[in-house]
Amino acid sequence: MNTWFKSGSPWVWLSAGGVSISLISVIGLLALIASNGLSYFWPSPIYQFDLKDELGNNSVVIGEIYDRETIPAAQLAHTDIVLVPGVETVERLLIKTGNRELVSLDFRWLLVPQIIEMTTPEDLVVIERRTNGNFYGRIDKVIQAGEEVSLAQLPELLERVNGFQADIDALQKENIGAINYQLERQRLKERKHALDNTLTTQLSQQFAAENSQLEQDYQVLEKQLLALREERARDQLVVIAMDGQKLTINFEQILNLHFNNQMGTFAKIGVFLSQIGGFVSDDPREANTEGGVFPAIFGTVLMVLLMTVIVSPFGVVAAIYLHEYAGKNALTKLLRIAVINLAGVPSIVYGVFGLGFFVYMLGGSLDQLFYPETLPSPTFGTPGVLWSAITLAILTLPVVIVSTEEGLSRIPSSMRLGSLALGATKIETLWRIILPIASPAIMTGIILAIARAAGEVAPLMLVGVVKMAPNLPLDGNFPFLHLDRKFMHLGFHIYDVGFQSPNVEAARPLVYATALLLVTIIVSLNMTAVSIRNKLREKYKMLEH
Amino acid sequence: MITVTPRVQPDSQPIIDLNNLSPDQVALNINKLNLYYAEKQALQDITMSIPKGQVTAFIGPSGCGKSTLLRCINRMNDLVDHCRIEGEINLHGENIYNKNVDVAQLRRKVGMVFQRPNPFPKTIYENVVYGLRIMGENNRRVLDVAAEKALRSAALWNEVKDRLNESALGLSGGQQQRLVIARAIAIQPEVLLLDEPTSALDPISTLVIEELINDLKKKFTVVIVTHNMQQAARVSDQTAFMYMGELIEYSDTNTLFTTPVKKKTEDYITGRYG
Amino acid sequence: MDNVNVGRHISGQFNEDLERVINHVMQMGGLVSKQVSDALQAVSETDEALAKHVLSQDYHINNFEVSIDDECTRIIAKRQPAAGDLRLIMAIVKTITDLERIGDEAEKIANVALESFSSKQKDLLLNLDNLGRLVLDVLQKTLDAFTRMDFDAAIKTHGADAKIDREYEALMRQLMTYMMEDPRSIPQIMSVIWSARALERIGDRCQNICEYIIYFVKGKVVRHTTAEDMKKL
Repeated sequence: MNTWFKSGSPWVWLSAGGVSISLISVIGLLALIASNGLSYFWPSPIYQFDLKDELGNNSVVIGEIYDRETIPAAQLAHTDIVLVPGVETVERLLIKTGNRELVSLDFRWLLVPQIIEMTTPEDLVVIERRTNGNFYGRIDKVIQAGEEVSLAQLPELLERVNGFQADIDALQKENIGAINYQLERQRLKERKHALDNTLTTQLSQQFAAENSQLEQDYQVLEKQLLALREERARDQLVVIAMDGQKLTINFEQILNLHFNNQMGTFAKIGVFLSQIGGFVSDDPREANTEGGVFPAIFGTVLMVLLMTVIVSPFGVVAAIYLHEYAGKNALTKLLRIAVINLAGVPSIVYGVFGLGFFVYMLGGSLDQLFYPETLPSPTFGTPGVLWSAITLAILTLPVVIVSTEEGLSRIPSSMRLGSLALGATKIETLWRIILPIASPAIMTGIILAIARAAGEVAPLMLVGVVKMAPNLPLDGNFPFLHLDRKFMHLGFHIYDVGFQSPNVEAARPLVYATALLLVTIIVSLNMTAVSIRNKLREKYKMLEH
Repeated sequence: MITVTPRVQPDSQPIIDLNNLSPDQVALNINKLNLYYAEKQALQDITMSIPKGQVTAFIGPSGCGKSTLLRCINRMNDLVDHCRIEGEINLHGENIYNKNVDVAQLRRKVGMVFQRPNPFPKTIYENVVYGLRIMGENNRRVLDVAAEKALRSAALWNEVKDRLNESALGLSGGQQQRLVIARAIAIQPEVLLLDEPTSALDPISTLVIEELINDLKKKFTVVIVTHNMQQAARVSDQTAFMYMGELIEYSDTNTLFTTPVKKKTEDYITGRYG
Repeated sequence: MDNVNVGRHISGQFNEDLERVINHVMQMGGLVSKQVSDALQAVSETDEALAKHVLSQDYHINNFEVSIDDECTRIIAKRQPAAGDLRLIMAIVKTITDLERIGDEAEKIANVALESFSSKQKDLLLNLDNLGRLVLDVLQKTLDAFTRMDFDAAIKTHGADAKIDREYEALMRQLMTYMMEDPRSIPQIMSVIWSARALERIGDRCQNICEYIIYFVKGKVVRHTTAEDMKKL
């Protein structure tokens, strides 16, 4: 036993155990998020339940099984439900029934003992709609321009509506959006002239003329839009809900329509992939509980990239100063300790600092100086993507400084001496030799910064993130990148959907899916940085000294 | 002094009198040089003249100050904290420790090669032209010519001419050291300082470098620090023996290695307890 | 041995190597001087057996020369001696060559002892004996100086060769007179001349060895210099 201890194998086992536990927890976490999140997109079977309730009434429920749980029978004691004596637990199912306009809740608990029959009829359909959530039921009639046509026309009609939808979106977002933006800019220009007392009659006439031109353009576009909308609303679908009510759904409401029970595995995979695609590329609907998360992805990535652009030069310059120029005295030591401690400050404190200093002080002064025409509505004096990026840059600065310094101190002094001996000055040596060699370490710092910044939510809630941003920070209107705009963020999206949505139960899979997406994005950002670093490492591989 | 008239002259080169060099024979003149690291005195009153176009070797045990003296010649000791220097080193009659001397300019005139090969992690070509680029030369044709010339002078051209754009770190240790020498001579220095240039190399690479040093003295004044006495004996024309920061004996290599005057020198070169 | 200063090398093996080779040189020197004295004794006592013994011993000296040469080569190859060590090795290599030659001269003298001399001619041998004793004395002093690497002794012994030369000249004149007096004895006198010549050569070789000693101690080559210059060292 003693020799076994001396051989060192206990330590090997201990460390191997530590590694396996970490590995298992990472894999477990990913597997849990992935299975919960991805199942949201899988077309699950639609069941028809024939029920007989405690009063002896028969009813039909149509929907997807969402969850099942076992509850103690005692919990049902106060109801009129008759139970077989001696049974202590009862199983119940959570069914997503949809049809929000007909019933108040789209979820319903069913007690298993009350279910007489459970079938999956092939004619059951699930319709994903723009409003009111999913519809579960049967199709009664397809009406094309007021006339009934066969069910076979359905895909064709859906296609037509979707085509219109794309046109309408383009018209609304690009053309009409651009005109609105120009109108706003005209208004601001005019106001600026008014503030500067340079507004002449001629100028104001010119503005009026330009504005009326824009208004005219707008009218034309609006007409087009109305025409398109009318075309889109041509066809209807008459459907029968589970309780027999007939309902007319206009085609413009329909996003997609699936007969889940008819589908084979491949068709299901197709639907699964297109659902994921939609999730990644669409805008959110219904208070973020449905639809996609594209603006949040975009906002997250843009903010992280901006943060990287801001933090890298500052961090590198600070590290170079600390390592190359600052004297080896107590002050430098103090500075270094301060930098390291900065990394330990809770992130919400940075948020408060960002709000107080950047948004109100800096942003407020910027508005006073450069954007007086928009006041009192602030431009930079309000939370926005720029302030978020800067706040996170400060948050991650210590990481970049520390790892850059680490990299600088690992460079053998022979490199510096070699360059200096050839008549290079210190700055030439730094620029041509030291920085390229230290670049992998700098990249490591940036990777760590990205990893930290992409996962940070708390400070962002104070300095720029919103639940729903009307516009992306990047669009087709000059100057294209609007750093003053608020943005959406995946981390905040998770929090919002998970805790703030009206229907938490319905949104839960979305929380998982969004979390999976956030992890995926952080990992891919990191992987990109890691691959860049590895290339640099290969290039500047030092000799094995 | 007895008059010996050997029938065969051992060496065809004229014997120079180190104590009485004419000004055009002198490359460097070190005068009463004292160096202190904080309170510790590392060099004591060094006075010597290094002749032009010859190889001068500094030998001595570890910590005797030979490397320190070498680093004084291109002011590499400036980079060391708490290093204080008294006395003067004259290059062209001008003290390199004068306040108005541009250190970068000085180091272009006095090149240095270090103990371990330290090629930059760049291509072979970029390594050789680094000094020229620093000097602001960016004309590709000029650089090409200079690189080839330097590599040929460093006896490396034939080995690397087909892979100038590959990383210098792929070369062997001996090749790297010759590359570093090529890098140093590409900027046409007057004096080349070699700080134990072969201590990290195998015997064959060492011989190649020694052969190279012999060629280099035709164009440059070479000062070499080595702890390998045989090497000093093989490559140098003059040898200075240093001990505990003092210059003990400085004479031509043939004399120093056969009939040293000072007992300390004799003990050191014959490997005896001092 | 204080001038030799073999010890104190950081490398103990180098010390041993040098000591061994010096010991071998001493042994060789002892053997050579014994050969010379035996040869002289054989001549003066016309001891044929002793003369034969001398002849049979010469190969030992040759063996010594070869093996010491070998050892010196090895030391140069392995230790790269410098300064004093280098001069010592060079001095040894040259000394053993001269010692071997001295051994050869002893052989020649012993050969003379094998020839038959009439009683009258024994007087000649007596003269030879004087010269022989003188040479033997110089040889022993040379070996002494070598053992101690004694510069002063070497200078003194170097000068003693002049005395041998004078003695040799005198003996030659005497032999000439004998030859003129009695031409029949010329063959015997010739062999005496040969051995006198051999003794004179031994003196010269001792002088060489002294020069090597001076070279080792002072690092100066004193061959082909005058005695006055030498004294100035």
